[in-house]
Amino acid sequence: MSKKKKITGFIVFFVLIAAVTIGIVLLGKPREHAETLSEVMRDAVLHETMKVSLFGLKDVNPGLISAYCVTAIVGLFAIICRIFVIPRFKEIPGKFQLVLETLVGLFRGLAKDNSPRKNGILSAYIFAAGVYIFVGTMFELLGFQAVTTNGASISLPAPLSDINGAIAMGCGSYLFILLGGIANNGFHGLMGTIKEFSLPLSMSFRLFGALLSGALVTELVYYPMFLSFGLPVIVGVLFTLLHALIQAYVLTLLVSIFYGEVSEEKLDKVEKKKRKQQKKAEKLAAKNKNIEENNENINNTITSEVSK
Amino acid sequence: MGVPLNIDWQQILLHLFNFIILFGILYFFLYKPVKDFMEKREADYKAQHDDAKEALEEAEKIKAEYEEKIAGAEEEISTMKSEAGAKNAEERTRMIEQAKADAAGIVEAAKKRGEMEHDKIIAEAQKEIADIVTTATEKIVLSADVKKSYDEFLKSAEGNVKNE
Repeated sequence: MSKKKKITGFIVFFVLIAAVTIGIVLLGKPREHAETLSEVMRDAVLHETMKVSLFGLKDVNPGLISAYCVTAIVGLFAIICRIFVIPRFKEIPGKFQLVLETLVGLFRGLAKDNSPRKNGILSAYIFAAGVYIFVGTMFELLGFQAVTTNGASISLPAPLSDINGAIAMGCGSYLFILLGGIANNGFHGLMGTIKEFSLPLSMSFRLFGALLSGALVTELVYYPMFLSFGLPVIVGVLFTLLHALIQAYVLTLLVSIFYGEVSEEKLDKVEKKKRKQQKKAEKLAAKNKNIEENNENINNTITSEVSK
Repeated sequence: MGVPLNIDWQQILLHLFNFIILFGILYFFLYKPVKDFMEKREADYKAQHDDAKEALEEAEKIKAEYEEKIAGAEEEISTMKSEAGAKNAEERTRMIEQAKADAAGIVEAAKKRGEMEHDKIIAEAQKEIADIVTTATEKIVLSADVKKSYDEFLKSAEGNVKNE
């Protein structure tokens, strides 16, 4: 096929697609939305009407169902890896092994850098939190459907765009830091963590705000029908990927920084006493020096006076 | 309701419960095995590195030892050489002295033997002369002719010399 023919083929292809798209937009009857835009957005924040039944036990926000789905997916993946992949690990890693090792190494490095003294359990925690936030955020792209209690179909959102999920994650992380502080530093650790009392609030609402705003913008963009073509490739995938990465990174980084802060070695009493004594000795030495200098000055003046 | 943003404490706990389960699964099925594998490999490489380092140090030590030994051996060889040279020279001088002494002895013995031989010959000659003289004297005395006796004596002496 010549170059000219190729170009013509492409042009015809795109013109056809454009013509059909325009036809769809112009000829279709205006879509009747089940909810108005303000209702959609209000519900995305408050979850007043769109509830999903949790095994018939309780009506919950769709975010919780998403959270369980994410756990199921990630858990299944982990178990499959444990059974089929990890036993076949080699000294020189293959591609998939390299991905897993890089992932684990990344979180271990983050934990070690920010909390050099104690980081065993911290790295495991931020690994789990990072994976949960990342996969949870990407989960909304899969568009799993759930049926709400009032019979409507809903696409499952990111678990952390639900305020309850975000609070659980933020407060859970704070609790983890608190426990780490107590375990590593006792009372000092406890006080160190309590000092950062605004941390659970800020972490919870940072997650909630970031993910919810993403969901709202997406909701806003998709609401008019003609924007539902082509655009989601960029808005949906790229933005979701970006804030999934950013949020996972921010929360894990914050947790490791604060954990490192509350678990760092506090100077014990003997050390403090030693330092105090050293300071005292230094001060005394400085005083003595001053006195000697003064004496010398006085002597000098006396000799000069006498010689006069 | 009362709680802003429809926060539901039970759901928060349900989320926490979910996350704890996820943490457990990820820790035991993914994080720990991968971490253990990485640590084991790291430890293996470290052990290998340490072993190699140790072996290298050992080798260097042995090399230094050998070099020292070689240097010692060279020194030993040179002292042995000089010692052997000195010994050789001594032996040679001793042998030369010995040879000289032997030669002197041989010469002395030869001289002695020569002298003895000479003495013997002279003694024999003297004896023969005495015999001849005795015989001649007897003849002369018997003939009483001095001149004739003298001639005869000369003749017999001549004859004796010729016979010899």
